[in-house]
Amino acid sequence: MTKFRSLRGALLGAAALLGLAAPASAAEPGVTDQEILIGLFAPMSGQLAAFGFDPLQAAKMWYEEINKKGGIHGRKIKVAIEDDKCSPTEAVAVVKKLVTVDKVFLVNGGSCTAAAVATQEFVTREKVPFVMLNAAGDGGVFPATRYMFGAFGGTQRTVGATIMEFAIKELKGKKIAFIAHDDDFGNSNWSTAQAVAKRLGVEVVAIERIPPRITDVTAPMLKIRAANPDVLISTAYPAPAVLIAQKYAEYGMTKIPLVQAVQGVPIPAVYAKNVGNPAALTNFYYGSPLNDLTDGPKQQKWIDLYKQYYPDRKPGAFMTYGLPSAMAITMALEKAGKDVTREKFVDAMETLDFDSGVIAGPTVFAKGRRDGSRASVFIKFDGTKHTLMPGVYLWNGKDGM
Amino acid sequence: MFGSPSLARLAPLLLLPAIGLLLPGYLPQYYLYLGNVIMMYAVLAIGLDLLLGWAGQFAFAHIAFFGIGVYGTALLQIKLKLPFILAMPGAALLAGLIGLLIAIPATRLRAVYLALATFAFAEGAQWVFNAWESMTNGADGLRIPAPSLFGHVMGNDPAAFPLVATLLALVLAATMYLTTSKLGRALCAVRESEHAAAASGVDVRGTKVIAFAISAVYAGIAGGMFTLYESFANPEVFGFAQIVLVLSMIVVGGLGSVPGVLIGTVLLGVLPTVMRTTMRDLLVWQELVYGVILILAMMFMPRGIWGFIRRKRRAVRT
Amino acid sequence: MTLILQALASGVVTGCVYSLIALSLVIVYKSTDVINFAGGEIVMVGGYIGMFALLFLGIPYVLIFVFSALATFALGAAFDRVVLHKVLGRAVPGQSILVAMVIATVGLSYVLKGSARLVPYTEEVRRLPPLFTGEPIFLGSVILQPQDIAIVVIAVAVMLALWCFFAFTLTGKALRATSQNPRAAALVGIPVRTMRMTVWGIASALAAIAGILLAPKLLMTPDMGVIVILAFAAAIIGGFTSLPGCIVGGIVLGVIQNLVGLYVASNAISVAPFIVIMLILALRPQGLLGGRVVAKKV
Repeated sequence: MTKFRSLRGALLGAAALLGLAAPASAAEPGVTDQEILIGLFAPMSGQLAAFGFDPLQAAKMWYEEINKKGGIHGRKIKVAIEDDKCSPTEAVAVVKKLVTVDKVFLVNGGSCTAAAVATQEFVTREKVPFVMLNAAGDGGVFPATRYMFGAFGGTQRTVGATIMEFAIKELKGKKIAFIAHDDDFGNSNWSTAQAVAKRLGVEVVAIERIPPRITDVTAPMLKIRAANPDVLISTAYPAPAVLIAQKYAEYGMTKIPLVQAVQGVPIPAVYAKNVGNPAALTNFYYGSPLNDLTDGPKQQKWIDLYKQYYPDRKPGAFMTYGLPSAMAITMALEKAGKDVTREKFVDAMETLDFDSGVIAGPTVFAKGRRDGSRASVFIKFDGTKHTLMPGVYLWNGKDGM
Repeated sequence: MFGSPSLARLAPLLLLPAIGLLLPGYLPQYYLYLGNVIMMYAVLAIGLDLLLGWAGQFAFAHIAFFGIGVYGTALLQIKLKLPFILAMPGAALLAGLIGLLIAIPATRLRAVYLALATFAFAEGAQWVFNAWESMTNGADGLRIPAPSLFGHVMGNDPAAFPLVATLLALVLAATMYLTTSKLGRALCAVRESEHAAAASGVDVRGTKVIAFAISAVYAGIAGGMFTLYESFANPEVFGFAQIVLVLSMIVVGGLGSVPGVLIGTVLLGVLPTVMRTTMRDLLVWQELVYGVILILAMMFMPRGIWGFIRRKRRAVRT
Repeated sequence: MTLILQALASGVVTGCVYSLIALSLVIVYKSTDVINFAGGEIVMVGGYIGMFALLFLGIPYVLIFVFSALATFALGAAFDRVVLHKVLGRAVPGQSILVAMVIATVGLSYVLKGSARLVPYTEEVRRLPPLFTGEPIFLGSVILQPQDIAIVVIAVAVMLALWCFFAFTLTGKALRATSQNPRAAALVGIPVRTMRMTVWGIASALAAIAGILLAPKLLMTPDMGVIVILAFAAAIIGGFTSLPGCIVGGIVLGVIQNLVGLYVASNAISVAPFIVIMLILALRPQGLLGGRVVAKKV
C-alpha cells in the first residue's frame, strides 16, 4: 500500500535532515576568556507578556550596565533570549534549548512559577544554575534544591503571611475574611496566612477559594458578608480583584478595611478606574514587595535608567522586579572568581545577603534557603493618593511550613 | 485495502526503533526532546483520528483520557511502586475502561450534542485533576518519577527517545492491523452512513462504543509516553487548547488517513518552535499567524494535506 | 432567605448575557450546522469596539451598541463570505465538510484574539463604564445596580426584536426557511448564500451587544472569550435548537452558578456548568425546551 511506503520515505528524509554534527564540548559550558553566556527567558508573548517582557528587558539592562563598567573579571556578559509564554511545556523546551544547544553557563528566567518548576528536574540533573526572574516561585524553592534560586519579589507564602500580619497588627483585625484562588498561588498564600492567624490567636471567620476565571463573585461575597468580618483580605488576580472590590462597596461593607495583595493591583490607577466606585477605596490597602511607591524616588531612578536604554517603551508595573535577580547573578559571578564554574557560582549565590535598592527587604540566600525575599510593605490608596504605611513586614520562614 | 498487513508493509516500521537508538548519539538533547514530543502527539492524534476520521464521531473527551494516562502512569509508579512496563499499560487500560463507560451514554447522542457532552466531560476531568489534591497534588503539579526499564533508569530525553520511538512503532503497527480488519471496515461503514451500516448487519452502537474505548486507550498510551520524558504534570496541560491543537493536527493533516495524521502532527507540532525562532521580534504576532494558517489551510485544503496530495495524484493518473 | 434572593437576582442578570451569546451560537448552528468556536472572541471584539467608540470617538453610549453591532455584523458576514463559503465550496457530496468549517472558526478565534493583543491598549485589564451609574436599587433586601436593570431590559428588548424579525419580516421568514431545509429554500428562489451571510452577521451583532453589556460587569481582556463555554452550557440547557430555550437556559445557568457557589463551594463554580451539561445530555438531550431530537432531513 503506497501510503506506508511514503511513510518510510518521510522517516528517512527526516533522519537525514536531523543528522547534524555532534556538539563540541568545552571545559565549562558558556564561559570563554572574553564572555559569559547567560540564557534569559520570560513570557514575551501571550496572555502574560505584561509580567515578563519588561522584567526581562530590565535584567538585560543590568547586564549592559555591568558590561559598560568592564564586565566581570574581564568577561563581558552575553545573553541568549527565549520566550516561554508562561507555559510549563514551552519553558521546558526553551530551557533545554538554551542548555543543550546554545550551551549557556546559567539560566536566568521565568515569570511564572509553574513554568519554572517544570524545568527543575532537568536543571538539577544537568547541574545548571537556574535563577528565576520575577516568578513567585513557591513550588521551585520549597523544598530548596541546590541549583534553583528564586522569589526575588517574595513567594506567595510571603504574600500570605505578611498580608495577614498587616491586617492583624496594623488594622487591628480580630475577625478576618480571606479570599484566595483555588490554584497553586492560592494554596501557598492561604497556607501561611492561616498559620500566622493561628499563631497570633486571631479567628478567620470566612475563607473563600474562588476559581481564577470567575465572572460573578456574588456567592462568595454574600457568604463573607454574612460572616461579619472586621477586615477583608483578598489575594485575587486583577479581574476578580476588581469584581470583589465592587461587590464590597455594593454590599455596604466599606466600613471594614479591604487589603488586596500585589497580584491584583498591577497598576493602582487602572484598578481604581476599573472599580469605578470611589466608595470602594475609602478603606483600601494594597501590598507590594518594593521599597517605595512605584513612582517614588527609589523606584524612579530605575525607571529613568530604563528610559535611557529603551526610549520607545514605557515600562509596565513589574519592570523593576527583573533587577534583583540580575544583580544577584552578577554579584555571585564576581564572588566566584576568575576560574568560575557552575558549582562555584552556586556556592557564591548561597552567601548572598544584600540590599538591591528595589525590594523592601534584603535579598538573602543560604544553605537550604532558596527564596530571596520575605518582605512586603503596604500602601493606603484612596484613588488618587498613595500613602506608604509604616513598617516592613517579614515572613519568618516558619509559619505554614 | 483490507486484510492483514503483510510483513513487507510492516517492515519499514522497524526504522523507528533503529533511528531511536542512533540519533541520541548525534543530536543535542533539545532536538531529541522535540522528537519525543512529536512522537507522543502522533499517538494522541492517531487515537483521535480513529474516533473522528474513521468512525465519524465528533467526540472531544480525548484530552481527559490523555490526562488519565499521564496521572495514572505516574501514580501507579508512585503509590503502588509498579514498574513503568506495568504502569503504562495499566493506565492505558484504565483510560480505555473509562472511555467505555462514557461511550455507553454518549453514543446515544448525535453530532453537536456528542461534541458538547464529551467536551464537558473533558473540562470536568481537568477540574478533577485540579481539585483531587490528595492524588494529583492539584494545581501545584505532580512530579513524575523517572521510569526504569529492566533496572535501567531512564531519566532524560536521550534515554527515553528509543523507547518512545519503539512505542510509536508498535502503535503504528497496531493501527495498521486495526484499519485493515473487520472492525476497520465497520468503522468506515458507520462513518459513511449509520443506516446503511445497520442494514448490512453492522452493530452500529457496539462499533461506536469500541471505537471510543480504543481511542481512549491510544490517549492513555500517549499519556504514558509523556511520563517518559517529562518530569512534571500540571492540570493546565489537559485543557481546551490541547484538544484544539490535536484536532487541528488531524484536520490539517487529513482525517481518516494515518500518513495524513502524521504529516499534520509533524507540521503543527514543529510550528510553534519554527514561529518562535523565525519570529523573534514579532512574537506577539504568533497567535494571529497561527489563526491565519488554520483558516488558509481550511480554505484551500479542507480535506487536509493528505487529501490534497491524493487529489493531485488522482488528477495526474486520469 | 436574602442570600437566595440575591443569588437569584444576580443570576438572572448574568444569565441574560449568557442568553444573548447563546442565541448567537444557536442561530448559526440552526442555519448552517456549524459550531462557532469564535463566538466568545466576537463578544470580546464587540466589547472593545464599543469601548473604542465610547472613549476615543466620543460616540454617545446608547449609540455604541449600534456602532459595534454594525461593525461586527460586517465582520461576521465577511468571514462567512470569504472563508466559510470557500470551504463549503470544496465539499464533496456524501462527505462531511463540517469539521473543516469548525476548524476555520477556531482559526478565526485565534486571529481575533491575536489582533486584539496587538493593540497595546489591551495589555491592561480594562473596564467599560456602565451605561447607568447611580445609587443601588433595593427590591426588598435585594441589592441591584442600575446597570443590572439596564442589562435585563436591553437583553429582553433585543430578544423581542429578534423574535419579531424572524416571525414577521420577509428576510426573517426566509432565514427560517433556509435553516429548516436549505435545498427547498433554494428551490423557492431564496438566495441561500446571502442568507448564510446574514445569519453570521446577525449572530455576530448579537455577540457584540452581549459584549458591551457584559464588559462593565466582567473585565475586558483579550482572553475574555472563554465565556463562550458558559454560553454553550446555556444553549444546551435550553435545548440547542430552540431560541426561547437559550433565554431559559441562560437564566437557569446564571442562577445555578450562584446557588452552587452559595451552597456547595466557591471553587465548584467553574465546574458546575459542565456537570449540568452532562446531566442534561444524559437525561434529556433536547434540553428544557427543545423538540424531540430528529435526524435532519436532507
